[in-house]
Amino acid sequence: MAFKDNREFIEALEKTGDVVVVKKEVDWDMEAGAISRRACELSGPAILFQKIKDYPEGYRIFAAPVATYRRVAIAMGLPADTPIKTIYDEYERREEDSIPPVVVKNGPCKENILLGDDIDLYRLPSPMCHDGDGGRYIGTWGFVASKDLDNEWANWGMYRFHVNNQRSLAMSPAPGSNLGMVLRQQYLPQKLPLPVAAVVGADPLSSIAASAGYAVGRNEADLAGGLRQEPVELIKCETNDLLVPAHAEIVIEGEILPDVSAAEGPFGEYPGYRSRGFEPKLYCRVTAITYRNSPILTMSNLGVPPDDSHVGGCLSTAVSVKRRVEQAGVPVVDCYVPPEGAAFMAIVSVKKGGNEVAQTIGNAIGRRRAWISKIIVVDDDVDVFDMRQVIHALSVKCHSTRGIFLKDTPPGTGNPFSPCDDAEEKKHSIGAVAVFDCTWPSHWPKDQIPVKASFNTIYPQEIRDRVLANWSEYGL
Amino acid sequence: MVKEYSTFVSAPQGLPEGQEIKLAIKDLTPGPRKYDCRIVKAIVASSSDRIEGGDVLWLKSLVGITSPKPWAIKILEELGDSIPRPPYSELIQVTEALNEGLTLE
Ligand SMILES: Cc1cc2nc3c(=O)[nH]c(=O)nc-3n(C[C@H](O)[C@H](O)[C@H](O)COP(=O)(O)O)c2cc1C
Ligand SMILES: [Mn+2]
Repeated sequence: MAFKDNREFIEALEKTGDVVVVKKEVDWDMEAGAISRRACELSGPAILFQKIKDYPEGYRIFAAPVATYRRVAIAMGLPADTPIKTIYDEYERREEDSIPPVVVKNGPCKENILLGDDIDLYRLPSPMCHDGDGGRYIGTWGFVASKDLDNEWANWGMYRFHVNNQRSLAMSPAPGSNLGMVLRQQYLPQKLPLPVAAVVGADPLSSIAASAGYAVGRNEADLAGGLRQEPVELIKCETNDLLVPAHAEIVIEGEILPDVSAAEGPFGEYPGYRSRGFEPKLYCRVTAITYRNSPILTMSNLGVPPDDSHVGGCLSTAVSVKRRVEQAGVPVVDCYVPPEGAAFMAIVSVKKGGNEVAQTIGNAIGRRRAWISKIIVVDDDVDVFDMRQVIHALSVKCHSTRGIFLKDTPPGTGNPFSPCDDAEEKKHSIGAVAVFDCTWPSHWPKDQIPVKASFNTIYPQEIRDRVLANWSEYGL
Repeated sequence: MVKEYSTFVSAPQGLPEGQEIKLAIKDLTPGPRKYDCRIVKAIVASSSDRIEGGDVLWLKSLVGITSPKPWAIKILEELGDSIPRPPYSELIQVTEALNEGLTLE
């Protein structure tokens, strides 16, 4: 049974020792952020902050929900110590079986409803995550629900958003995100406000679904159902027709205005740097706030890996990379987006490698956008989930000139958060991709390919069997 | 009581002193409403003795680094909470967007 909300998820984390409840009062102004940042850097537990300065008893912050693979496994209903590869395989399997949501009439997210003059975002303990951030990000692991103009496609996208003032949010979906696309193509030309619902503290798998690059026209709520293996319960908003998870902690209804912007950013971002300024982004006028009694605001305090964006947030990235490479006709075995690479690196293993295969992979991954900028291609004797094997292959099998392919990608395809891009590249979102081919060239004769000097590959079977059978007798 | 605000700019030396400009400022008054954003018309100066009855303005670079010495600000007019510019216009910084035609580098 999937967790219907974060409260059940937190209970499960308590049982396995994967969450720490902090009873001491903490300040929403950087202290909670600094604590959870350090905990992430130590691969520590999730944290439930129970008392937040300036806020009533019971108003809580839940930090770093899926910043370790243990917590991702628990969120998926798997044993906490499930190997990463098994988590990936299970995610891939569930992703293929989407399950549509069900609509309910009542839900806890309606326990408190603020409308009209009562609307006040400052009633919620939004954290100032890092020093120097552009605002109090109430949405660091939240998502924005919206629909296209024909009312057919209900999108959920995880985009950061901060409090602008009592009654407005500043939101940051990229122009190429699904929300950005619908806004630019359908709403802005007609100068129409776009209704949205910003969801904070949905169940863990709905949140992961919202971070996935799901195809245009497909509803992430169906993906959430697939990952949960049961439908998500949705409920209608108070001031628009959007549907949101009924068990979410906080829902901020509003509309994105077509003629004005809000000052947004900067933010200590997922590449591990605060690298980008104070820019006019989307202005969301709040039309209602609904929230549960004793609301639990989720915080993912992004920065240097590993945090939620690099662990829970990269599962779907890896699956979609794998699919794109498969579609390009490459016999891919596994694909891993390691937390250490902050979603800028993908490691792909293939049945049969070579120069052209590596280039095909690079082109396939960077085709639409070059947000992943380092691609390591390995033969299938390398376990992509084991960094020791990957670094070994990169070091000795990738020729330092012939094995590296470099490519600039067109304006609009680059990663806006890439810390190493210069001002001009940032301005035009120009990208760059490097492919590291760590596979044997396809034209090398089989009997000329170097033999891996490992226990499993350089000894006859008979010797290996004997050594294994006698292992303990050797005193090892 | 002197109030404190902050804003982000490309380069502090580019801010015109003693001249009306528009800024998006964050109110640093401690308490649950800290960091509230306002768009204002104001006069700023690099030193508090150049503005009588001014408040404190901390300048941050675009990556969020605070200049060690605060500026002074006198708010002349409240201009609401939004920037009069449609979403997804060309990439530009907030202070530039509010003061088109002015060179702030
Ligand atoms: C923690 C986190 C924060 C994110 N913030 C943003 C953001 O502010 N803007 C954005 O465009 N994408 C952001 N993303 C990436 C999007 O969630 C991702 O591209 C997703 O596919 C967007 O949904 P969409 O495909 O429906 O647009 C973020 C991802 C994570 C994991
Ligand atoms: Mn989508």
